[in-house]
Amino acid sequence: MIYLQLFWEYFKIGLFTIGGGYAMLPLVTQIVGKYGWLSEQELIEFIGIAESTPGPFAINLATFVGNTVGSATELGIFGGILGALVSTVAVVLPSLIIIIVVTLLFDKFKSNKYVQGALKGIRPVVVGLILSAVISVAGKVVLPNFSFKNISAGGFDKFNWISLILILAFIPLSQIKIKGKKIHPIYLILFSAVLGIVIFGAFGVQQ
Amino acid sequence: MRQMKRQRQKLNNSHKVSLWLLFWTFFKTGLFTFGGGYAMISILEEELVGKRKWLTSADMLDMLVIAESTPGVIAVNTATGVGFRLRGVWGAIVATLGVVLPSFVIITALTFFIRAFSQNVWYKAAFTGIQACVSVLIVNAFVKMFSQLERGWFSALLLVAAFNVALFTNFNVIFLILIGGAAGILYAVIADAVCKKKNKTLPLSSSERLEDESARQDDDGANGGGNE
Repeated sequence: MIYLQLFWEYFKIGLFTIGGGYAMLPLVTQIVGKYGWLSEQELIEFIGIAESTPGPFAINLATFVGNTVGSATELGIFGGILGALVSTVAVVLPSLIIIIVVTLLFDKFKSNKYVQGALKGIRPVVVGLILSAVISVAGKVVLPNFSFKNISAGGFDKFNWISLILILAFIPLSQIKIKGKKIHPIYLILFSAVLGIVIFGAFGVQQ
Repeated sequence: MRQMKRQRQKLNNSHKVSLWLLFWTFFKTGLFTFGGGYAMISILEEELVGKRKWLTSADMLDMLVIAESTPGVIAVNTATGVGFRLRGVWGAIVATLGVVLPSFVIITALTFFIRAFSQNVWYKAAFTGIQACVSVLIVNAFVKMFSQLERGWFSALLLVAAFNVALFTNFNVIFLILIGGAAGILYAVIADAVCKKKNKTLPLSSSERLEDESARQDDDGANGGGNE
């Protein structure tokens, strides 16, 4: 039963990630790959959409994954809506329970030696996981056939050099401050979409 | 401190927030924040502390500490926490529903649209550009979280180990997080034991104590310099 699988996997994601949306990304990548629910390319594209639509990033991603998984069943559109409902509820449920308990015990929680110890260990792991997401996402964009888990010469067949230049150009661009505020990610995404349309669409450049 | 407590009491007593208003507030927040939890928090602060005066800034900070250091989506954790504080379990459910609903509706509608267009040439061209931008957004998320991380060999070791295992193997990421938590607890326990032992043996050798004290002073000096 695919909906149960979806619920269980997303429940675990909600239960085990500390640090919000991007901390969830490595787990989402892993389960999506494990069950073959989405291609990595689709996931990367959707990260862009999730960032530029309203709502918490992680919820947007969960809804999308659920919808895609559900739509692939014989239920069609209704399956998609059901899948989205299942994954969203599953990712939120652990929060609901944990937060209520922690709010009640806040003062104890804040100063508990073991809680603080566990967080001290979990935080660097999460940051390390995000770094691995950085490398694997950027790697997928620049070298679409390359796999870090199965390194072979064939992985270098296709090299998207324009994407590499775009990435390198966007890093400083994303740091520019206007009136003390960084450019909002939505504008960066819109700008990159326009660049993509001009370079690959209008001029038909092949990487 | 006492004054703050009294203020908090006053806030809670004078406003019995309706569930509908709670839902509506978080629905609006979900609808108008782009990105993640951190973007939402500044909006919530304005709405809940500034405009509606449901909470004090101190409450908000507590809430943020909880949201950040418990599992789950930060925005959802904040909604659940605020809802629970104001109206108990139903408040938590209603606020969470409110913050999630806009995403759910918008993304569900959008997904069908995306699927229809996914083979379109212009759509593909746009997304080739967007993919590059997404890589950079994740880089920025990493930099932000890295800069907030406690420095030291323990953090460095765990970070590098988690990175390598996640990138090059298929090892379950959840286990990595659990191992990190266990290592952190172990570290805290050992550090505690070492500290206690040190305190016990200190009075025996005065030379060591002197050394320790001068080292501590050096530390203080370094810290002071860092703060300036």
